[in-house]
Amino acid sequence: MLLEYATPLTFVALGAIFAYSFYAVLIAGQLSLGQAGFASLAAFSGVALAPERTEIGDVTPLLVAIVIGMAVGALAAIVLGLPTMHLRGVFLAIATLGFAEAVRVVLLNSEWTGGAQGLAVPRILTLGMAWTALAVVAYWFWRMGRSRYGRALEAIREDELAARSMGIDVGRHRLAAFVTSGAVAGLYGVLFAYYVRLIAPNDFDFGAAVEGLVTAVVGGSTMFLGPLLGSGFQTMVPEIQRAVGVEAGWIRPFLASLLLLVVILFLPGGLASLLPRRTRMPASAGGTDDDGDRPAHLAARRHPATGETVVALDGLGKEYGGVHAVRDIHLEVRSGEVVGLIGPNGAGKTTLVNMISGLVPPSSGRATVLGVTVGRTPVHKVAAAGVSRTFQHSKLFNRLSALENVLVGGHLVSRPTFLRRLLWLPSARRDEQAALEQAARCLRRVGLADAAGTRASALSYGDQRRLEIARALASEPSLLILDEPAAGMNHVEAAKLSALITSLAADGLTILFIEHNVGMVLETCTRVVVLNFGEVIASGTPEEIAADPAVIEAYLGTEDDEPVTGSIAEGTLADPTGGDPDETPPDAVTNVRPGAAGTLEPPDTTPRNAT
Amino acid sequence: MQQLLNGIFIGSIYALFAIGFTLVFGILDRLNLAHPAVFAASAFVGIELVERVGLSLWAALPIVFLFGAALGLVIERLAFRPLKGRADAHFAGLISSIALAGMIIALLQWRYGPDTRRFPAGSFPGTRFDVGGAQVTLVQVVILAVSLALMVGLTYMVTKTRLGRGMRAVAENPAAARVLGVNVDRITAVTFAISSALGAVAGVLFAINVNTAQLGMGSAIELKGLAVIIVGGMGSLPGALIGGLVLGLAEVFAVQYIGSSWRDVIAFGLLFIILLLRPQGLLGARKVREV
Repeated sequence: MLLEYATPLTFVALGAIFAYSFYAVLIAGQLSLGQAGFASLAAFSGVALAPERTEIGDVTPLLVAIVIGMAVGALAAIVLGLPTMHLRGVFLAIATLGFAEAVRVVLLNSEWTGGAQGLAVPRILTLGMAWTALAVVAYWFWRMGRSRYGRALEAIREDELAARSMGIDVGRHRLAAFVTSGAVAGLYGVLFAYYVRLIAPNDFDFGAAVEGLVTAVVGGSTMFLGPLLGSGFQTMVPEIQRAVGVEAGWIRPFLASLLLLVVILFLPGGLASLLPRRTRMPASAGGTDDDGDRPAHLAARRHPATGETVVALDGLGKEYGGVHAVRDIHLEVRSGEVVGLIGPNGAGKTTLVNMISGLVPPSSGRATVLGVTVGRTPVHKVAAAGVSRTFQHSKLFNRLSALENVLVGGHLVSRPTFLRRLLWLPSARRDEQAALEQAARCLRRVGLADAAGTRASALSYGDQRRLEIARALASEPSLLILDEPAAGMNHVEAAKLSALITSLAADGLTILFIEHNVGMVLETCTRVVVLNFGEVIASGTPEEIAADPAVIEAYLGTEDDEPVTGSIAEGTLADPTGGDPDETPPDAVTNVRPGAAGTLEPPDTTPRNAT
Repeated sequence: MQQLLNGIFIGSIYALFAIGFTLVFGILDRLNLAHPAVFAASAFVGIELVERVGLSLWAALPIVFLFGAALGLVIERLAFRPLKGRADAHFAGLISSIALAGMIIALLQWRYGPDTRRFPAGSFPGTRFDVGGAQVTLVQVVILAVSLALMVGLTYMVTKTRLGRGMRAVAENPAAARVLGVNVDRITAVTFAISSALGAVAGVLFAINVNTAQLGMGSAIELKGLAVIIVGGMGSLPGALIGGLVLGLAEVFAVQYIGSSWRDVIAFGLLFIILLLRPQGLLGARKVREV
């Protein structure tokens, strides 16, 4: 029974292995079509270099060829990956496709490959061997899924910039995924060669690459069983058609294509989306130890002592094509401070914060943050130094759950677990558990414990803002930067956020935050810096700022333009949430009214919260 | 001189094909991999129109143009519109268009069988010109003229007309365009129609140039089309024109000086160098990523 279907079943395994080589990069959000080239190089060099079967049994040559093939595939991936890893999306796909085509043409014109005639190879591979190889590959990706490395790849797929800010070295991770893909493609090439008896360079053409990609995507590129399902589908559909007596000719490819279209249109996430996905809750949520002792498995960060300089900006400026977004900023932030950054829209607040967190290189001046010179340091190194941030427009990892988002945030303080997970070492389980508990603690701290299993994209706007804060907290930062954390929150939530910030400061964190809710800023901060037209116009304690005529002018215009009663400062100080609770909450909508006491916002018709 | 002209003729077909490709990419940020199937289908339809219906070549071209446009509408409707708003739309669009291409090719096989087909003998006038010592057929001149006319017309449409303005608005920001009253769905559909119509004409011209049509002719030009739009710059129309001509010339001269079996290495070597040195292509604009 099984033997009758040996050939199609072997091809299911081979197709699945090839699809895994696409899956390996798709999971990191990369689209590569070079796998056929890797497989081709691996197949020909493996077969050419492996010993003849007559000398030493059957299996040894196959194993030697596999080792050679995987090494060649990985090596080719490094050679191709180093110059192309900065390319994105379709560009990477086409560059790798170009590589594969070049390989094909070169091999076609080489003597040692037999040119267009190809190379005769003994059939050594059996059904059992093929499925064993597939099992090993599938095991690899299964264990990768919930390791720190696997999560980092998914984070890169969802939002590269946010992943960088969480301290993930995107370049290295992408290259690692690419090399894995090359090795798996190499494995496929060799196995294929030892099954089909005759290989020619044209077996590994564009069509083959597309076939592999289709298999991976149909199966589902976000779940490790996807490639196997996809390969079963792609291989078995023609078989079933033959079995039920559909004539050869045009109907078969037509029906196969039609089915493919139906699957892709009606099953987003591929066939794997039919399988239930276990939602992972923080097992043994710890219950009591809210902010208790830190588990020993997480690297603890030592915050700079109170009063030490955390941020030192010296004449920092940023220019966009002649427009000075930020100009000549001198600013020092000391450990333990809570600094509020306010100013009208377009004052350069976000640009300044982007420079401090290393996302935007300054065009003049110098900035040192936690001992790192930003601008010349990659973002993930700045994050590693202890800077963590949220973004003005939420940049969450949308297809991951809230808990997984926070787990990625803990990338820097958790330990790599993938290799130990492959070996089922108990220490890996302990580390994962510690990371989970820490993530759950961060979620609880922002009040999102109940939403742990919810996809980030399904959360409400305010919850997304809080999830971003939890994610930023998970890296145990010394300097926490929040870009408009209270946007979209009502006054009750904003008051809670204010309390959270105060308690974080009590833990020794230094906090820098941009906020339009001036009442909240004055309430929460130890120091306020006011920016207008890219320059600091005032800096001081909340009381000094509230009384500063320059600030009032920046917000409301000069007194000639509009009578100012002088009660603004007192009013806002009296009410931390920025306005009478019975009035409309101080969110963006309120800001449209220039006279609204608590918000001190100039007229602004742009919906700042629009995404 | 002869080589130069040959390069320009074949390059103009590449350009025409690639412009259809790049038009959709520029506006939707998606690759339509059913484009090569349109290319092949229109070549067969063109041959049938001349052979069975007995139309002249010149009458067949506009009909093929309309046929391509209709096919483009079908592709947009079946393979792209249902994916709107999906997180994985990028990959899914590739796959759904591949699936649709498979269906189109299967239907071609049903209608025309798996064999190579040709225009009936005597379909084109054999007039030849002598240009600077090189032989040029009337057919080649027509290929060049039609390609150029379509490209000029398209450029005019995109830059000057209301429809073109809508297309550029959608390319820039679909959400904003919708808010401002642009019918994004209609613009998208029209873009697909135009794109496929151009691909269809390219298919017929290609079939005329080499006087054969095969089921697999689309995949051969697909790779070249991709190379052309990268070299020229994704989404750039003049870039696709220049890229097509550069590729056509590079191929012809590679065959001349290096040997025909190495022709494709030249094309992809060129592609690779461009990608590394100038990822946005010769005329593409680099998109700035915002925080």
